[in-house]
Amino acid sequence: MRKPVARTPVWVTPLAVVAGIALLVGTFLLIRWYTTPVPPPPLNVDSTQRVVATITSLPASEFDSVGKGSANNVIKPVSGTPLIGPGGHPEVFYLGADYCPYCAAERWPLIIALSRFGTFSDLKTTTSSSSDVYPNTPTFTFHGATYASQYVDFVAVETTDRDSRPLETPTAAQQALVNQYDTTGSIPFVDFANRYAFSGAMYLPDVLSGMSWQAVADALQQPDSPQAKAILGSANLITAAVCRLTADQPTSVCSSAAIQAIEKTLG
Amino acid sequence: MLAMLASVAGLAISVYLTVVHYSTIIPMACPASAVVNCELVLSSRYAVIGDSGLPTAAAGIVWFAVSAALGLLRFRRALLAWSSIGLVTVLFLVYVEIVQLGAVCLWCTAAHAMVLLIFLVALPRPEGDRVSS
Repeated sequence: MRKPVARTPVWVTPLAVVAGIALLVGTFLLIRWYTTPVPPPPLNVDSTQRVVATITSLPASEFDSVGKGSANNVIKPVSGTPLIGPGGHPEVFYLGADYCPYCAAERWPLIIALSRFGTFSDLKTTTSSSSDVYPNTPTFTFHGATYASQYVDFVAVETTDRDSRPLETPTAAQQALVNQYDTTGSIPFVDFANRYAFSGAMYLPDVLSGMSWQAVADALQQPDSPQAKAILGSANLITAAVCRLTADQPTSVCSSAAIQAIEKTLG
Repeated sequence: MLAMLASVAGLAISVYLTVVHYSTIIPMACPASAVVNCELVLSSRYAVIGDSGLPTAAAGIVWFAVSAALGLLRFRRALLAWSSIGLVTVLFLVYVEIVQLGAVCLWCTAAHAMVLLIFLVALPRPEGDRVSS
């Protein structure tokens, strides 16, 4: 007696392949979930002050040796009524948000550059969102911080915290600046007294991936580190734009060869 | 026939991604969120072949063109071998997207789906009814 053997349905093999691939993709997602770094807790006041002191007291020779570094010059000349800040000085206006990884990256050079013209107080550490690209990028927030300078005024608006909860709202006048000069709506947006402006970051945040604030500060003391080339290069670009607003004051900052060379490229 | 259609679709996607890579005018038509972000994936170091500067999508053009030829000539075994290589490459690229970059490129995923479809079509069909004594 010859018995027929059941034929394997035609869909079994393809279905097995698809199921295997789905299992593999699920494994990839699990690996990603397990390996995504958790955000480090914010530093206490003393540690924050140490980090800020380190990054704002870098020697001028280091800025000169880095020059533009690996930073992408995204600063564009703009025209408009000169923007004067609350202290009567040319105003540097910043719009960003704590969740935003590109803002996280750009705050480092902003703090370093503006600290060459004045002093920040009450900066606090934070990280960008855990669920956005470049998660948990270490940074500071301008929310609650103050800035004093005899050369420029700095006005910052952080719209949300790292979990996208509302923090600050731009005034109508600030929103008008954003609408006029930041036509793509990208953040961070920085307006240098309506003479120069840029939006976006000057380097990719992945250069800070997995680093602590102290580790970044340490890396900035090494001019050849990728962090120094990106952050100090960006800081030099910002410094050059600010020097244009202050008629190259103070000369100890603005007369350096690196800043003068960058100023010539700003247009 | 299905393998041919998938090859042509994959070829079109690869050509588009290659053109976008070199163009400064043609925009990337793709949302940019935390999970779906073509820009992030296609500006990563994995989007080019080694140090050559050639976009990975250019390799896709070659791969889909060969697939289309093998499908047209009905070289079934060759297509199975070729699509196996393609599928392994796709699995590596999916690993890179999910684990290394944490973002997925929609256009790349569409091309990956075409590779999978070609592989499934090239799989050997089960033999007809057999008998045993």
